[in-house]
Amino acid sequence: MLKPIYSFLTSLNLGLWLMTGVMLTLALGSFTRASESGINEMPLLFWLQRAPLSLSWWLWLCIVFLAVLFLNALICSIDALRKKGRSIAPHLMHAGFLLVVIAHLFSSYGGYKQQMQLTEGGTIGFPDGDQVLLERISGEVGQMGMLSSYRAQLRVKGRIEEVQPNQPVFHQGYGIYLKEVALSPVPMALVEIHREPGAWAALLGALFFMAGNVMLLAQRKGR
Amino acid sequence: MKWLLISSAVLYLASFKRPVFLAALAAGLVYLGSRGLALGRLPLIGPQDTLAFFSSSIGLMALPFVYARAAANERFFTWGTGVFAGLFALLATPFPTLNMPLPPVLDTYWFELHVALAFFAYALFGIAALFGVVFLMQGKRQVLDLQYRAALVGYTFFSLSMISGGIWGYYAWGTYWLWTAKEFWTSILWVYYSLYLHLRLKGQSWDRGFAWMGIVGFFVTLFTYLGVSLLMRSSHSF
Repeated sequence: MLKPIYSFLTSLNLGLWLMTGVMLTLALGSFTRASESGINEMPLLFWLQRAPLSLSWWLWLCIVFLAVLFLNALICSIDALRKKGRSIAPHLMHAGFLLVVIAHLFSSYGGYKQQMQLTEGGTIGFPDGDQVLLERISGEVGQMGMLSSYRAQLRVKGRIEEVQPNQPVFHQGYGIYLKEVALSPVPMALVEIHREPGAWAALLGALFFMAGNVMLLAQRKGR
Repeated sequence: MKWLLISSAVLYLASFKRPVFLAALAAGLVYLGSRGLALGRLPLIGPQDTLAFFSSSIGLMALPFVYARAAANERFFTWGTGVFAGLFALLATPFPTLNMPLPPVLDTYWFELHVALAFFAYALFGIAALFGVVFLMQGKRQVLDLQYRAALVGYTFFSLSMISGGIWGYYAWGTYWLWTAKEFWTSILWVYYSLYLHLRLKGQSWDRGFAWMGIVGFFVTLFTYLGVSLLMRSSHSF
C-alpha cells in the first residue's frame, strides 16, 4: 500500500506535471487583479484569508501544487542520497528550492509592513511600542529637477543613523526604508517599516541552490 | 554614435561567416561602451539601451558556441544567431536614448547585476532555441547537447539574476518578493527551464520534445522581457 504511494511521490512524471501546474496557475494569476487588491500590502496568509475566492483561487491551486512539489523534491533527494555514487549537485539545488519555499512560508505568516508620511521631528512607531525619531530630511536636486539623492537622519536609541534608498536601517528585527522624499513646501519623507522573517532562509536557499548549480555546471563541462 | 548600432545590426544580418559576426559584435560592444562612458554606468534604462544590450548579449553569449568544434559546420547557427542579434539591434534604433541619471532606487550594483545577468540568460535561451531548430532540421544529437548546455548556463545566469534581484529588492523595498506581473513571469520562466532540465532525464525518446521545449522557451522569455513590460503593469515598468 505504502510502496505505490512512495513511488508516485518520488516519480519524475509527478514533478514535471506539478511544475506545469505551478506555471499555469501563476500565468493565470498574472492576468487577475490580485496585485491591485492589497496582496503586497500584508502578509500573504492574511490576504488569503480576506480575499474573495474569485480573486485568490489561482493562488490556492498554486500553493497545493507547490506543497506536493515540495514533497516530491524532498523525497526524491532523500531517496537519491541513499544510493551511493550519486552527485549531490541536484540535491543541493533541491535543498535550495525547499528553503526558498520555507522562506515564503515564514514571510507569509510573520511578515509586517507599515507605511507612514513624516515631517522632521516625526516619530516612527513600531508594533511593540518602540519609537524612532526622524530628525532631518535632506536631498539634492539633479539636472532635470528631480531629486538625484536623498536621505533622512534617524535617532535610534540615542544614536544617529542615516537611511537612504537601498540603505535601510535595521532596528529590532525591522528594516526602516526611505521610499520617497519631498523637500518643499516642507521636508517630508515616506517611510516604510518592514519585517521579512523569511529573508535569511531565502538567502540560505539561494546559496545552496547556486552551489549545486555551479557544481552541476562543472560536472556537465566537456560532456 | 547610433551609426555603430546600425552597423552592428547590418553586419549581424550578413554574418554568414564568423569574422563578420565578430565585427558585428565588436561594433555593438563599442556602441554600448560609448553609451556607458557617456552615462557613467551600464546602459540599462529605456528601450534603446536595453534592446542594444540584449543584442550584444546574444552575440557575446553565442561566441563560445559559434567557435565550438561541435558547431563548426553549422553555418545556419552562426547566421541565425546573427539574425537574432541584428533584429534586436534594429528594433533598438527607432527609440530615443534616455540620458537621465539613475533614480536613487536604481543606483546600486545589485540593479546592474540583476539586469545584466537576466539579459545574458535571455540571450542563452535564444541560442538554445536556435539549436532546437537546427536539431529538428538535421537530427544530430550533438546539437541537442549544445542546446542543453546553452540552456543550463542560461538557467544559471537567470537564477543568479533572480537572487541579485531579491537582494536588491530586500535593500530597496524591504522584501525579496512582490506579487507583480514581472515577478510572476520571471518565476514562470524559471520553473519552465527547471522543467526543461528535468525533462532530459526522460532519455533519448524525448529528444524532439526536448528540442521543442527549448524553442518554446524563447517565446516565454520574450513575453517575460517584452510582453510583460508592454502589456502589463509591474514593479519593473520604470
